[in-house]
Amino acid sequence: MTALFEVKQRHVMETPLIVCDRVGHVYRSRRGNTTALSDVSLAIQAGEFVCLLGPSGCGKTTLLNMLAGFISPSAGNITIGRLPIEGPSPNRGVVFQEYSLFPWLNVRANVEFGLRMAGTSFKERRKVAKEYLTLVGLSGVETKYPFELSGGMKQRVAIARALATKPELLLMDEPFAALDAMTRNALQVQIRAIHQQQRQTIVFVTHNISEAIFLGDRVVVMSSQKGVVADLNIDLPRPRRRTSSGFNLLYEHLERCIGFEGVE
Amino acid sequence: MRSVGRYFNSPAGLGLFGIVAFGVMWHALSRSGLVNSTMLPSPAVVAESGWLLLTNGELLRHLSASIWRAEIGFFIGSALAILLGVATARLQLLDEMVNPLIQMFRAVPSLAFVPLAIFWLGVGETSKIFLIAWGVFFPVWVSTYIGVRDTNPLLARAAASLGAKGWRNLVFVVLPAALPLILAGLRVSLSVALVVLVAAELAGARFGVGYLIQVSQQVFRVDEMFVGLIALGVLGFAADFVFEQLVRLLFPWYRAERGTRSLRRERSDE
Repeated sequence: MTALFEVKQRHVMETPLIVCDRVGHVYRSRRGNTTALSDVSLAIQAGEFVCLLGPSGCGKTTLLNMLAGFISPSAGNITIGRLPIEGPSPNRGVVFQEYSLFPWLNVRANVEFGLRMAGTSFKERRKVAKEYLTLVGLSGVETKYPFELSGGMKQRVAIARALATKPELLLMDEPFAALDAMTRNALQVQIRAIHQQQRQTIVFVTHNISEAIFLGDRVVVMSSQKGVVADLNIDLPRPRRRTSSGFNLLYEHLERCIGFEGVE
Repeated sequence: MRSVGRYFNSPAGLGLFGIVAFGVMWHALSRSGLVNSTMLPSPAVVAESGWLLLTNGELLRHLSASIWRAEIGFFIGSALAILLGVATARLQLLDEMVNPLIQMFRAVPSLAFVPLAIFWLGVGETSKIFLIAWGVFFPVWVSTYIGVRDTNPLLARAAASLGAKGWRNLVFVVLPAALPLILAGLRVSLSVALVVLVAAELAGARFGVGYLIQVSQQVFRVDEMFVGLIALGVLGFAADFVFEQLVRLLFPWYRAERGTRSLRRERSDE
């Protein structure tokens, strides 16, 4: 068992890209305070593909939102490249679970959006948009509007849009959760290939155990009560087969880590 | 008989039948002797005076005067409303200062300002344009305000993570995101403009469809009053149609977006 996955050894030599130090978050509302996350410590190396796995309400999306700069931690602190996070930045691309393409822009303009905000020239924008649309396998739909696309295509455009500003960190919040199983599998293969090619750091939130094992170099299991409950390096050879015995052993192990929390 | 039945099966055929039946009944009532035919002229008489007013150019003169006023008032009113709507939704201090004032003015029906506007600005163009702009302002302000204030938080986050800030964020994200609501407000205010226009023209004017109706009443020309009413109906219908077509042409995503919005809301949030 231990040969397949070992508890992550903290890298002493390398400085991690992301450091979360005893991070917590409390949502305040008139009906009282809800603790979404408490005492999470985590270090992520540059270039790692990390999956945050856990049931609904375990705080994984909250952690992602803090990394994106949408909310700030109410306890502890997070640094990226040793610097604290000060709001959202095109240096950290985000792909959301819900379709978040701008409905008034066509596919090309959606992908170009980040570059347009940065004041990049028209010619350069066109070039980069074409490059990233090709990367996600979507050539020829540049002038279509989001409402004309399928769910899988929308998420691929969203990925291209997030990548076009060349962020050092890509944050993905259950991006494939709303897609059908076959489209989801295809996009999982694709995002792996993109990571292989581009080597940016990816933090991928999911509640799907198989998705986490298939994608991650590392799987961090979170629980609402206990924060990080498991942190595993996944050393299965690639391409990973969902039916291999190693895959299934990991599946069972992770299932036990999550327990029945959140499953009514 | 079978071919007649086929016509009745289509909605257009039925609609046409309804119109013809209405016309026949109107004609019969006017000729029956039950009502004074001066008070209720038959559709044929109305059509005849309509044709006369159309060919001698009088109807067009009134129509163009009305359309011009409505247009200018509509543009001034909606432009100011969109500007102030965006400003109040984005600047909290301004909002807190101006909002109670706008709500107060909004509570007064705009038609109630007709006598005051005429007293202050006379029966000329200024009073009419002012009144239309005034009436148009409020629905457009409300919808712009709500549209800008309640920008879809998901899109706002997506934009922020792509580096949208300041004026670029306003122009490329906030305004287009609010556009469906702004357009809805503009569409409502199109009919408001027509209502205020006619009220202002009835209260005193030298030209315009409202004026035509008013003058025809004074000389007992009920047929010409009907011509005026029909002209207003056509004008309102045409304005709405042109608006809809422009929206469809300029914002091809808009209709589809409206359709998917309710679906999106149904999907449960994890």
